[in-house]
Amino acid sequence: MRAPWCILAMLLYTFCGVTDTQKRPGTTLAERVQQLTDMSNKRAVLRFNANKFRDFVKATPRNYSVVIMFTAMAPQRQCQVCRHASDEYTIVANSFRYSQSYSNKLFFAVVDFDEGSDVFQMLRLNTAPVFIHFPPKGKPKNADTMDIQRIGFAAETLAKWIAERTDVQIRVFRPPNYSGTLALIVLFGIVAAFLYLRRNNLEFLYNKNMWGMGALFFCFAMTSGQMWNHIRGPPFIHKNQNGQIAYVHGSSQGQFVLETYIVMFLNAAVVLGMILLTEAARGKGDPKKRKIFAVAGLILVSVFFSLLLSVFRTKTQGYPYSFLFK
Amino acid sequence: MVQAGSKKAPPSKINSKAGISSLIIFVVLLLAWIAGFSSRLFAVIRFESIIHEFDPWFNYRATAYMVKHGFYNFLNWFDERAWYPLGRIVGGTVYPGLMLTSGSIHYLLHLLHINVHIRDVCVFLAPIFSGLTSISTYFLTKELWSPGAGLFAACFIAIVPGYISRSVAGSYDNEGIAIFALQFTYFLWIKAVKTGSVFWAVAASLSYFYMVSAWGGYVFIINLIPLHVFVLLLMGRFSNRVFTSYTTFYILGLIFSMQIPFVGFQPIRTSEHMAAGGVFALMFAVAFLKYLQSMMSKSEFKTLVVFGGIASAAVVFLSVVLLTYAGYVAPWSGRFYSLWDTGYAKIHIPIIASVSEHQPTTWFSFFFDLHILVATFPAGLWYTIKNINDERVFVVLYALSAVYFAGVMVRLMLTLTPVVCILSGIAFSGLLELFLREDDSARMEESEEEEQSTPSKRMYDKAGRVPKMKHEQSKDTSDGIGPNLRSIVTVVVLLLLMLFAVHCTWVTSNAYSSPSIVLASYGNDGTRQILDDFREAYFWLSQNTADEARVMSWWDYGYQIAGMANRTTLVDNNTWNNSHIALVGKAMSSNESAAYDIMTALDVDYVLVIFGGVIGYSGDDINKFLWMVRIAEGEHPKDIRESDYFTEQGEFRIDAEGSPTLLDCLMYKLSYYRFGELKLDYRTPAGFDRTRNAVIGHKDFQLTYLEEAYTTEHWLVRVYRVKKPDEFNRPRIPVANRVVKSTNYVSKKNTKRKKGLIKNKPVIVKGKRLSSRQ
Repeated sequence: MRAPWCILAMLLYTFCGVTDTQKRPGTTLAERVQQLTDMSNKRAVLRFNANKFRDFVKATPRNYSVVIMFTAMAPQRQCQVCRHASDEYTIVANSFRYSQSYSNKLFFAVVDFDEGSDVFQMLRLNTAPVFIHFPPKGKPKNADTMDIQRIGFAAETLAKWIAERTDVQIRVFRPPNYSGTLALIVLFGIVAAFLYLRRNNLEFLYNKNMWGMGALFFCFAMTSGQMWNHIRGPPFIHKNQNGQIAYVHGSSQGQFVLETYIVMFLNAAVVLGMILLTEAARGKGDPKKRKIFAVAGLILVSVFFSLLLSVFRTKTQGYPYSFLFK
Repeated sequence: MVQAGSKKAPPSKINSKAGISSLIIFVVLLLAWIAGFSSRLFAVIRFESIIHEFDPWFNYRATAYMVKHGFYNFLNWFDERAWYPLGRIVGGTVYPGLMLTSGSIHYLLHLLHINVHIRDVCVFLAPIFSGLTSISTYFLTKELWSPGAGLFAACFIAIVPGYISRSVAGSYDNEGIAIFALQFTYFLWIKAVKTGSVFWAVAASLSYFYMVSAWGGYVFIINLIPLHVFVLLLMGRFSNRVFTSYTTFYILGLIFSMQIPFVGFQPIRTSEHMAAGGVFALMFAVAFLKYLQSMMSKSEFKTLVVFGGIASAAVVFLSVVLLTYAGYVAPWSGRFYSLWDTGYAKIHIPIIASVSEHQPTTWFSFFFDLHILVATFPAGLWYTIKNINDERVFVVLYALSAVYFAGVMVRLMLTLTPVVCILSGIAFSGLLELFLREDDSARMEESEEEEQSTPSKRMYDKAGRVPKMKHEQSKDTSDGIGPNLRSIVTVVVLLLLMLFAVHCTWVTSNAYSSPSIVLASYGNDGTRQILDDFREAYFWLSQNTADEARVMSWWDYGYQIAGMANRTTLVDNNTWNNSHIALVGKAMSSNESAAYDIMTALDVDYVLVIFGGVIGYSGDDINKFLWMVRIAEGEHPKDIRESDYFTEQGEFRIDAEGSPTLLDCLMYKLSYYRFGELKLDYRTPAGFDRTRNAVIGHKDFQLTYLEEAYTTEHWLVRVYRVKKPDEFNRPRIPVANRVVKSTNYVSKKNTKRKKGLIKNKPVIVKGKRLSSRQ
């Protein structure tokens, strides 16, 4: 039962192909450009299937470039990256569409795997997303495929790459992202509302412990290199080939996230020890408690500082000093 | 030595005679000065009295020029030896405070007939100023907390590596004197806020003037002091003292700062200074409201304060925004903007991101530069917040902002160091003061007493919380922690402090005392070998090249070439013109013929590259090369592409698998010219690069457009001469394009006279048909 259907489909396909090839000589360059312009006036990113790909991209006399994103957007493909890439790509296409430099020399198109799988086969693509630039003359070279592994696919890099390939400068205009501002406003609103609700009892604002804790936490975060983590994005811990886990980065130039947490904890312990010692000696409460406080503070300061020092030692070559521990 | 001095500090606070205590303070500060001075002398003792690194060479050259030609000529100095062919207006693009300071010291010494060379004044300026810094830190901490804490802070800052890193002997740079100016300005400001007197405010603005003349970091002061005032306003601590001191300071400081040619109209035209102006306007609004208060009922006033305060703040803010938008006020400059938006520089300004000082700070650097202080200063911060008053608000803000900036940029560790010393001084003196006391019944804490002495509104304290029960205290003091525990704690703390002193000395000696133009390497048996290649090359340049010869190198070496070789450079460490630097970067990263076009366009005579492959010096040009490519790519995206310099796998390799573009570019060729023949030792093959641990990929090549002029003993500096167009083997020109010069010489052998043969001459025989002999 199935075979005849297949044959039928093949027949249909060849028939279509035949009509297609028959039609093609009729579409001149001017007509194709006109069609593309019409389409891109409706949508900045054209959707191509196999036929359209053949008509507009493979057809030989062309005076326009086409940038195509090969992607797989169907939900069952589960391509998260494609979605991000598509967003960025649309931003670039729209920036071009509504910019001064808009012309019919460059078109943006997308080929979805589920609509044009033969195009994927034809170009021997087996990953998505891929950005390929089809120049007006000749076949795409190596550099016409964007290296998203290395430079990523942010709209700015896309625009830069397109400028390199086609000489069309696109100034990326992102639709402003209000979510950050909105979050800030909401936060302020909540704080203001909270203050207003508790307007009769604002004593907590004068709570020095709270402010002190906040300031101390900020200091610990900064001195343990959280800003470095934020900018450089190091791994949480490092696993080498043998499966051993390194918690502390070997060189003084880098650090792991867990390592900074450890350092933060050690710093905080030393500070706690200092405060305990001072409070113990200051003379409040009963003497026994104070003694315990003093001993605890002393241990905290000496032990955790020596730990800190030994972590430091592992990262410094030839550092000669240590305290309590090696 | 310093720690021994600081041990004496606590007794000074227990009321002995005033004379003894001031003697102790004097002795401790003197010892701190001497210790700070002498621990900065490692470089001078090991090497010689020499200017270090890069920027100091320019400062030295400018100072020498000023001493020779006078101050006014210095201000009008147009330096045609830098940034060829553009030149540089030095007088208008430099902070003259440093040159003026050392110049006047030199003048003073010569007035006393002490004939010191200006170089020695420059070399020893920073160590001498470190003593002044520790004294001003003492005064600042004394105003904030107590004299004992001040002595601790002074001792800390005298030897802490975070500050030594910028002030060793020979490191003749702005920061060396600027930290003194910073601390002194803050001291005077605190004094002004405490007393509310115009005298101290004027003194603070004069000190601020000195700071502006010395270092671009003055922006930190002109933002921190308004922030202090603003937070005081928010906390309801507005007073006439604050009003008087801030308005005086701001107006005078503004006028003074505009006298520096380099600063000019920036204080009223750029966003960095707008916060100060805004707070100034706000102060007047608040003062006006206070005035209205005296003639209004309480409820009326309350609504007025709420609405008036918010409205005036909004008006000030909006007007600044509008002025910025309209272009009267310049927006934040890239350098400052990158402090807030931490990813900004990497994307937009590679020249800022390329400098290693502008990288974020790891916890390692914090610990390396501050050691125990980094783990104890939060304790000081804690007690400062617990016992807050007007001036302590300042130190809290100082600590929080400085710790943030230090986290973003390694370089700004310098501004964090003083406040860390102050806060750690407070923590340690608070601790030792309690533990070194003979018995508990001695006294109440110093700090509390001091607080009572200063008139401040204690807004934060509830009425019932402050007074302590008298009988409780007397009961406590009868039985303390016990003398044994006390002495153990004291000994442990002193051990930690000793460890700190030892660490500081070790770090200073190992990390911060290298002049970096003279390198030292140590053999296995401890013998020391001096590598003096840089000076060798610069001396060669100065002796063997024409006086007006132009030397192309990467910008790092511009100041040194100008300072030591006295030759014209194309780019230098004053990175004001990005496109010019990009052009040099492009020349370095293009192939030889493309580079030759650029070099002829820029009239380059010599090219200088730093190559560390022979001795394993990691700071050489190949390791910096990617930044050259990036900077060049920023300006010339069509010709230079960073991706071309990586392998398929995205690696930067110099061996045979490296990308062909890299192996063919000018920088690669100049670094590795003839290196393929060199066999360093018997274990490694020829052409083995010790810095990158690889055999180079492109060995036997010839240079067409350049020739090797000089290579130093350890190949560290290589100088090449750019050939003139008639010298090199020009590339073959197709016959069709050749233009043959017409000459007047005519050959005698013209066709008529010459008796020649015709090849394949047809033999004509009468009566036969024409045929050729073949």
